[in-house]
Amino acid sequence: MTETDPAPAPQAVDPRLLEILVCPLTKGPLRYDPERGELVSERAGLAYPIRDGIPIMLPEEARRLDA
Amino acid sequence: MTDEATADFGFRTVPAAEKAGLVRRVFDSVAPRYDVMNDLMSLGIHRIWKRIFVRAIGAGPRQALLDLAAGTGDVGLLAREWGAGAVVLSDINAAMLSRGRDRALERGLVEGVSFVVADAERLPFPDRAFDRVSMAFGLRNCTDKDAVLREMRRVLKPGGRALVLEFSAFRIAALAPLYDAWSFRVLPALGERVAKDGESYRYLAESIRTFPDQQRLEEMFRSAGFSRVSHRNLSGGIVAIHSGWRI
Repeated sequence: MTETDPAPAPQAVDPRLLEILVCPLTKGPLRYDPERGELVSERAGLAYPIRDGIPIMLPEEARRLDA
Repeated sequence: MTDEATADFGFRTVPAAEKAGLVRRVFDSVAPRYDVMNDLMSLGIHRIWKRIFVRAIGAGPRQALLDLAAGTGDVGLLAREWGAGAVVLSDINAAMLSRGRDRALERGLVEGVSFVVADAERLPFPDRAFDRVSMAFGLRNCTDKDAVLREMRRVLKPGGRALVLEFSAFRIAALAPLYDAWSFRVLPALGERVAKDGESYRYLAESIRTFPDQQRLEEMFRSAGFSRVSHRNLSGGIVAIHSGWRI
């Protein structure tokens, strides 16, 4: 996106957004994993990716935790 | 015998499980030229419809708006500029939504706008989270429209209002042949010339005609549990704003 920042790390996500997001399948809480840039739903066994600072809350795009 | 669930895809009927992928391909394909094409296809009138829609949403400084099918941000960003306290823009298509985010930055909108890729049939928000939920030109692309309306109601606070701007049934008989020619001859041709993608624009024209009319969509709002359901035609019913309240 911008050339001023060389950091390839996932972009910061709006913290207020993280507060209200829930798992779309279970409507249960999510745990933010800043290292991997993921939102983890333990109950659904899915980790939703954050790409370019935008959470992708689609089960078909999520990583399965048991895999 | 197979008894699979089906969904409309333009004038075709497809297995329900396939519609989302087909729609995604249409919007991945049209995303780069989406704004230009909207202007051409509606002769710029979509901007007026959207402004009327944002005024109808009427989200104030203490209210939170969820804008679904937010796409490139026309409705959600304008709502924020016109005073909505906080706006979450959501779309199932990441390509469209990142254009929306780029446009937000260009317009200096950082505070009070956020972006989430989500399926409107399975929203990643808790019950009673928003004061207003809006969806402009999105519902007809959804596979299970009743599920979307139920989700819209679920995430609304009591006293909150859902509004849908969508193509509807044109009510001016004398102009119907002209409207038909525009939809089925001019639009696909424009799509072919400008976006090199006549197929996608043919789908868009067909999906407009298979969408429920004013009365049917009102019934769907009521079935989803909304109260005080109403609609308002714009441009003779080419589009309509439907709304319902969560009481």
